[in-house]
Parts: sequence; structure tokens; C-alpha cells
Amino acid sequence: MSAVTGQPGEIGRLDLWQESRGLYLVPLRHHSPACAGHLKALIEEVAPALILVEGPCDFDPLIPLVTAEATRPPVAIVAFPERKPGRADEVSVVSYFPFCAHSPEYVALSEAAELGSEARFIDLPSSHRIALGRGEAEADGEAALAISLTDERAFDASDYGRALCRRIGCRDQNELWDHLFESRAGGRDWRRFFRDVGVYCAHVRAATPAAQIEREGHPEREAQMVALLREALDDGKGPIVAVTGGFHTPALIEGLAAEPPSRKPKRGAGGAEAYLIRYGFRQLDQLNDYAAGLPLPGFYDRLWQRAANGEAGEPLWRDLAVEVVTGFAAHLRQTQPSLSPPLPVLTAALEAASRLAALRGRPGPTREDLLDACRSTLLKGEQAGDLTPVMGLLHGFLTGSAIGDIPPSAGSPPLVEAARAQARRLGFNLEDGEARNRKLDIYRKPRHREVSRFLHALAFLEAGFAARTSGPDFLSGVKLDVLSETWSYAWSPMVEARLIELAAGAETVAEACLRVLRKQLRALGEQGRGRNAGAVVQLFLSACQAGVADRAEEILPLIEAEVTSDPELRSVVAALRELHLLWRGREVLGMTGADTVERLIGVAYARALYLLPDLTAAREEDLSGLLEALASLREIVTTAGAETEAIDETLFDEAVAALLDSEVHPAIAGALACLAFLAELIGGGDLVARLRGNLGGAVLETGERIAFLRGLIAISRELLWRLPALAEAADEILGGLDEDSFVSMLPNLRLAFAALDPREADRFAQRIAARHQVAQTEVTGAVRYDASAEEVQRNLELSRRLLRCLEEDGLRSFVEAEVRS
Amino acid sequence: MEMVLRAPAEEKYAEELTRLKEADDGPRPPGWRLSARAVRRFILGDEALKVSRKFYGDDPLVDRAIVSLMGAQGLMMVGEPGTAKSMLSELLAAAVSGQSGLVVQGSAGTTEDHIRYSWNYALLLAEGPSARALVPSPVFQAMRSGGIVRFEELTRCPPEVQDALISILSEKTIAVPELGESQTLRAKPGFNVIGTANLRDRGVHEMSSALKRRFNFETVHPISDPGFEKELVLKELAERLAGLEAGSEIDPGVIDVLVQTFQDLRSGRTKEGTSLSRPDAVMSTAEAVNVVHAAALEAAFLDKAAVSGAHIARQVQGVVLKDNPEDGKKFKAYVDHVAKDRSGGNAHWKAFYQTARKLKLV
Repeated sequence: MSAVTGQPGEIGRLDLWQESRGLYLVPLRHHSPACAGHLKALIEEVAPALILVEGPCDFDPLIPLVTAEATRPPVAIVAFPERKPGRADEVSVVSYFPFCAHSPEYVALSEAAELGSEARFIDLPSSHRIALGRGEAEADGEAALAISLTDERAFDASDYGRALCRRIGCRDQNELWDHLFESRAGGRDWRRFFRDVGVYCAHVRAATPAAQIEREGHPEREAQMVALLREALDDGKGPIVAVTGGFHTPALIEGLAAEPPSRKPKRGAGGAEAYLIRYGFRQLDQLNDYAAGLPLPGFYDRLWQRAANGEAGEPLWRDLAVEVVTGFAAHLRQTQPSLSPPLPVLTAALEAASRLAALRGRPGPTREDLLDACRSTLLKGEQAGDLTPVMGLLHGFLTGSAIGDIPPSAGSPPLVEAARAQARRLGFNLEDGEARNRKLDIYRKPRHREVSRFLHALAFLEAGFAARTSGPDFLSGVKLDVLSETWSYAWSPMVEARLIELAAGAETVAEACLRVLRKQLRALGEQGRGRNAGAVVQLFLSACQAGVADRAEEILPLIEAEVTSDPELRSVVAALRELHLLWRGREVLGMTGADTVERLIGVAYARALYLLPDLTAAREEDLSGLLEALASLREIVTTAGAETEAIDETLFDEAVAALLDSEVHPAIAGALACLAFLAELIGGGDLVARLRGNLGGAVLETGERIAFLRGLIAISRELLWRLPALAEAADEILGGLDEDSFVSMLPNLRLAFAALDPREADRFAQRIAARHQVAQTEVTGAVRYDASAEEVQRNLELSRRLLRCLEEDGLRSFVEAEVRS
Repeated sequence: MEMVLRAPAEEKYAEELTRLKEADDGPRPPGWRLSARAVRRFILGDEALKVSRKFYGDDPLVDRAIVSLMGAQGLMMVGEPGTAKSMLSELLAAAVSGQSGLVVQGSAGTTEDHIRYSWNYALLLAEGPSARALVPSPVFQAMRSGGIVRFEELTRCPPEVQDALISILSEKTIAVPELGESQTLRAKPGFNVIGTANLRDRGVHEMSSALKRRFNFETVHPISDPGFEKELVLKELAERLAGLEAGSEIDPGVIDVLVQTFQDLRSGRTKEGTSLSRPDAVMSTAEAVNVVHAAALEAAFLDKAAVSGAHIARQVQGVVLKDNPEDGKKFKAYVDHVAKDRSGGNAHWKAFYQTARKLKLV
């Protein structure tokens, strides 16, 4: 009866140690510290001449790099399919083969190096898995996929494991694994340990449907492993230690026992490029999300450190728990002091952890025991799973943030190389992590423009390389008159990590930008911000700053669609303003498709005009936004009208004229009247008459009387001194108000004049002062800025009441004398 | 044994507890009747000892609860109504201290006397303060005997009354100054408090953070696995109908309809992924059992027929139409869209749909 299809009782009888022919078959689970520790003990005892590891055989050339002295895990071998020209749209698949210090594979390779033995990978070339992954991704409709070459799905979804969980009382198969095997970390009895792992894995395998095994491509890989094992055995070099996932071990034993097949092992790079890269625990944990593996690598790393120091059994787990709980508390004190737990709670957590471990029959608190203990002691109140802040932070803490290191001789994926080369060429210092500053004269020096584009591109990719500290901001349209940009930059492994993430689908920074751009566009649609012209234009502008404008033209039709379906005047004007900025900055941005942008300006302008009549239905809370939109629309029309044919000023004037006498909110009416005056549709007298009509109007809401003035000022405040009749009319009416109405109108007046800067306010005050034939200081001299608006309002009312009191007592003359002196 | 409407857990499962005690070889925490592992087996079941599973869906929570009871902190169970918080607390008390009857029922009318002690006033007047005249509260009794006291609906008590628990939980003593200067009751080992509370219901009070600090919190979630819930409903139903001739045979398909309806309405999403408006009414497993119980009784005694989707539909409306009139609309939408789609190839859903459609829901 074979091990693969065996009956209960037979399944576990695995011939792992075939000592007669010098072969040791080691079943393991990837990234398991217990496996790594026992494997180390095995290798030390057996002293193999050859170590074979499950891993793509085209990675063999990278083994010296993995075991090099300068290499510090976590690192990973990353592989991409060879890019074929003209197939840019095909699903990009990138595969990772991560190593951390506690990966058995890493231990196997580094022990081999130490012994001076040979080490080789025995799995199919990486292109095989990439092709398999691509098939899956295409079936799922995904555009990009990262796969883990240490995929252990079978451990997560096996019926055998589920049944065992139910019997032993574990919530999932990771806890089961910890319970059965990780709890034995630090032990040295490798024969027993791996026999037990073998039995467990053989059962998982026996309970996995044959169809699933076939679909996941295992038989083909196992045939390859068997073929390479045979080859090694035939070479006669021994003893041999073969390190593979426990899921495959039964099949390997069976394959080796069967008649040798005729097939030869597959070799060669097989159309994939592979690199050793720095890796991080955070990325490892994320990768595990897709394809199983022990979660929270930071926790297992701590376990490994202790086991490697010779600790074992109960003291190991006790000290580990203390380290984790106190370490987490220290971490909280540093990062989130408000959540940091008091000492009694920490003691309670440790007590609960060891009690849970005892209840569940473990030598000490394993991962889930610790998490459970923290959950019941650190959380006060109702919880929503791991989303609760403390638990989220604990997960982050146990995931760890360590990043590995690789020898300088290791190559990198093309994107990383390209980015590095470009950065060096542009004069950046990448040798250390120091933060440096760089000032760029973007308008005069083409090279500086290029540097700026590169930095913008990396910023757009969120690579965390550089941040702009000053300079013109086209995105928000501020400081456009500034001539230079200042950046601060620092190269770090995180920059590379981010680039590696993007490396799957792109060879150059520009290509990566395009990919990200496409992704963001899609996301924008999904987030329901699709019908927001402003957001799409912003995205396009980012792309232009990153220097990929010419290749980002595919966005332009989309912008057109967005603009023509945008129901908000404000966002259409915002888009128009940005398109206009873009068009004006076309040289700095190095844009080629400027005429398309010009056409887009026309589209946005038409849409804005189409939306103008909606002003009649403006709501109170939208007023400031709409006034601002009207002001910037006028600004664009006057400035761009002369520069481009896309904007026809007369159309705007006609739209204003049509709206002028319709029923609108007084603030909008003020703005429209002002626009009409500026376009010479109405005369100054008409404008003043309108203002008088509104200020002196008989409306209940005093605020509405001032609103007209507010609208007017919002569009063109310079009219206050350019058109003296306007100021006179305002002064006359406001001066004629009684004290009560003036005070109640004050907040609205303040709102209306808020648009004026202090200099303009002074200028206006001068005019009013001249009109009343008093010195300007008498109008503004008493102004104090240390009193808040509410305070002034309160005090004004108070003094009015006081005056009334004095008056009633016939003492008014008192105060008047006082004021004069 | 005298017939009672509802026997406490320690009587209902007396045989299981005896078997567990006999087979119990683990170390017992001081004052406990069973070892921690036996308590776990009592609640989560043990096939070998023929102990039934009594709590479904979250085994680690049971572990954590048992461990909390061993420590110095109290155990506070929170969560939506009908998630078996009280049942779990009763089972824990029965297994740990052999009696689940020491209960303080929290309400707006609870006073400190219910937590500490009060007096038999006739004796007090006749004899003056004496041990005989003292009327111990359940908390007092639990401290004296070293047992578990349950505090139901803690947050329904006014905050100042809740806070009477603070010193009891941290000092584990109650002073009785009326009986003399040094008269203090010190809790025996095994004493602890299991509270249950609802933090979001209408008419509940905040808990002070001083009190929160003295409890370990466990959130009991509704059962999310329809398979589990079905198992539980069937088991509960069988217990309720024991001794009646009614409903001995219920088609599991009918229970499927019930459980699926409850799961959908509770989560606001059908198993196919369609979003729906969630009614405010509590759609707990306990309510599901009530529904199928009533449906079985209706079918047996009024219709003299097997339970069908139609009976379920008529009973579900009683659960849904409780306080918010909007809920009727939401349930109607569920019937009109989801139930209708499912009524295609399934006789039970069809019966459910046809009856539910005729209900006056809005």
C-alpha cells in the first residue's frame, strides 16, 4: 500500500531515513522555526555531502548570494517572466521565494555553505509556477499577481486538519501546527520530530482530493524532484539530505521506490529572470495572506532566536511570552501612549497566557495563547475582532518591521536598476540613508527639470524617496510664481522594496508610473469618484509632473467623459482651472499633447457654461464654493480668452446676461451683477442701483441684505475703490441704519469683507474716512486684533445697554464727554 | 425531582457533571469543583464521556473565559442580545462551583443592598444587628462559599450601584461594620464574578473605567456559520418538544429556510452576496429557536400537519415586527426579492414566500 493512497494506519509509515543509500528525506513546513532547529541538528549529525532543497532549479546560481556573509535575512529571490515586446497588457506575475532566519530552507543552504557541502534546488524552473499563477490570475480577472513559491495552501484547507482541529480544540490549522510542532522548538531529537511531521503531512496529503493535487500542479513538480534526486543518488555522492515541503515527501518516497521513468529533469532558466532582493517581515506577512504560511513572522523570529540560543521547553516559552508582552507594552508607550497598559494588566496578560497554555496542554504560551491573553486583558469593552486598535497594533508589532540586507554583488530587477542608474546619473547620493536637500531651478535649466520629473515620478509611485519642501505646486495651484523647487531625499531599503513591488510589470520608472496611473484611475471609478472631473485631472497632472504625459494620453478621453458628466459647477471649474494651469505649464512639464489639452479646456468650458443656469437652485451651504467657482471662471475666461481659441469670452458674457435678472440668491445676484458690469453689460449706475436695492431691501433676514455685497466683493473687490459710487452707496445705507440693525448685521458684514486683505481694508477705510472728512486713523486706528468676533459682539451689546441705562438716568452727557476726551 | 419549567444547568446536566468529575484527573484551581479542562469539556462537549456540546461557534472564547475566572479579574461578557451570554455564564457557574443560582438581576431598580447585604428588619428590631438578622446578597453568599456569582445585565444598574462591585473585585472583602469593628467577610478561594452586559442597547448605563479595569471583557458574537446554527436550533427544539407529540419530525429543509433567513437579516447580506437593509429587531439564535418552536406547535395543534415554510413565515413576522415599523418594510423587501428568487426550485422557500407575501407587513 502506497503512502499516498494508503489506508489509515499505513499512511504514517514513511521511509524517511534511507540510510542504506545515504538519503535523508526531511519533511517540513516553510518558515517553521521548529523545523529549522531540528533540521540544523540533523545536518550537524549527518554531515551531508549534498543538500537538496525544494525550490526552482533555475535559482541555483543565486545560492552563493543567499549564503554570502553580507546577506542578512529576511531576503527573497524574486522571479519575473521574461518580458516579450508588444505584450504589455498581459497579466504580470511575480513570484517570491522568501527566506527568513527561521526558514528551514535558509538553514539548509547556510549549513551546507558552512560544511563546504554542495547545495542545489530541485523543483521545476520558476517559469512553471509563473505560468500556473498566470492561468489562475487570468481566470480570476486580476491584472497583477504576486505568488509565493513557498505556498502551503494544503495545510490550510485540509479536511484532515479540520477534523484534527475539532478534536484537539484548535481554531485553525496554524494553531494546530503550533500546538503539535512549534511547541517542540528547541528540541534536538530530529528523528522523532520529523517522523511526526511526516505523519501529519502524509495525512494531510491523503485527505486532499487527487483532482486538487493535479490542478495545483504537484505531480509534475514531484516528478522533477524525483528525477533530480535520482540523478544525485546515481552520482554516488552521499550522504544526501533532501529538504522539501512535507506535503511532497510521501510522493517522493513513492516515486523513488517505483521504476525509473524515462523522463529527464527540466533545467535552465526557462524564460524567467531571478534576483536576490532585500525583503521585510511586513511583506512576508502580506505574501502569506495570499498563500498560507505561518503568520506574524516577527513572533516566530523571536522564537527562533531563543531556540537557536539553546533554550527549550517551558523556560523558552515563558521568557518568550515575557519578552513579547513587555516589548509590546514598551512599543505602545512609544507609539501610542494613550493605549499603553498599566503594569497589573501586563501581569494579568502573562498569567492568562500561561494558564491558557496549560489549559490547552502546551509547554508554554504559543502565538494564539498570547494573542488570546492580550485580547481578554488589554481590551476593555466590546471588540470588533482584530480591527480593534490595540489588537491591530499587536499584530503589527508581532509582524515585525525588520528588513534584510544583501551583498552588493547581487543584481536587482530591471526597474530597481533603472531607478538607481537614473538617480545616479542625475547626481543623487545613494550610498547611505542620510537625508539630503536639493534645490532645482526648473524654469531655466533643462537638467533640473529632468531631475524634478524623476523626483515627481518616484513621489507618484509612493516610493518614499523624496519629498518636496517648497516650490510651485501645480496640483493645488499655489506658489506658481516660485522659480525653484527644493527637495529632501534619502535612499532606503523601503524605496527598493516599493520598486520591487512594482517591478513585476515595468522595467523603467516611466512604465511603473503608467501602471500605477492606470490602477489609480480604476480605483477612482470604483470608489465612486468617477464622476469627478477635478480628481481625474489631478491624476493626469501628477502624471505630467512625473514626465509621462506623452504616454498618458489614454487618460484624456476619460477626462473628457468625466467632465461632460460632472454635475457640479465647482468641480468642473476646478478641472478647468487645472487644465488651464497644465496648458500654461506645458513647457515646464515637457508636454507634447498640448493641443489635446486645449481641446479639453474647450470641453470643460462648455460644460461650465451648461451648468451656469443651475445657479438659480444654489443652496445656502454651497454659496462660498460657487462664488469662488464664479470668480475663478471669470479669471480663466479673461486670461485664457486671449491665449486660446478654446475659450470664447462672449459665450460667458451671454450666459451672465441671461441669468442677470433671474430669481437667484442675493449673493449670486451680486456676483452676477458684478460680472455683468465687468463685461460692460450694465453700467456703473445700474450696479449701484442694484446694490442700493438689496442693501436697503425689505427682507426679513438681515443677512440677505448684505449677501449682495458679499457676492460682489467675491468677484471683484477692487470695484470698492475703482467705482466710488459703490462705496458711497454702501456707506450711506449702512450709516443710516439704526444701532440695533447694524449690530445684528455685523457678522454678515464681516463675512462679506473677509475677502479683503489688511492692505485693501485700509485702502477702503481711507476712502470712507475721506468721505466723512476725518483722518483714516479715526476709522481704523482703534482697531484691535486681540479680541475675538464674539467678544466684540458681546461688548457692543453691553455698551448699548449701559448707554440706555445712563440715558434713563439722564446721565448721557457723562459718556459723551468721556468719549470725546 | 419536582417538575419545574426550567431547571438550572447543574440539575439539567447533573449526570454529565458527575461523569466529568469522576474522570477528572487534572489539577483543580482552589475552590473549583472541576479542573479547568473538565470545565472546558463540559461546555464544548466530549464524545468519549458523552458530554454534549452546549456552546457553539467560538471555542477560544470559552478557553479565555475559563482562564479569566481563574485569575483575579472578573469576567464580563458583552455582545448583542440573544448570543447566549447568559447561558454561557450559567454553564460556567454550574461547572466551576456546582451551582448557577447565585444571580443578581441588574435593573434600574437594583440597589447596593442587592450587591452587599441587607437586614431582616423584624429581627433587627428585636435583637439588634446580628449574624442572624443579616440577609446576604448573592454576592455575599458566593464570597462566603467560594463560588461564582452571576451578575446579569450589569449595565442596566445605575452607575453608582455598579461601582459597589469595584471594591469587592479588588479587595475581595465586604465589611459589616454593624456587627462589630473587625467584622469583615473575606472571600474564599473560588469566588469570582461573571457579568453579562449590553453596551449598546436602549436604556443602559455606561460602565466606569475603574470597574472596566477589574473585568476581562469577552465579546460574544452571533453564530456566523449556518451549519452550526442549524445544529443548535435543531437541538434546542428537540429539547423543548420533548414530551410533546408535536413536531417530532421536522424536515431539515425547513430549518434551512429559517436559519438562512436569520443569517441574512442579521448580517445584512445574503449568502449570495446581495446587500439588504438590516432590520433593527434582534435576530438571534434564541429567537430562531422561538420561531421554530412556535411554528412546530402551530403545525401540530392547529393545522395537524408537518411544519412547513408557511408556518415559519407566519412566526418570523412576530420577531421582525417588534419595535420599529421600518422593519416591516425591510422584511417585505427581503421576501419580495430574496425569498422570491429562492422559491424557484425549493418547496420550502416557495411555501415561505407564498405565505410571507400575504402577511400585512407594512
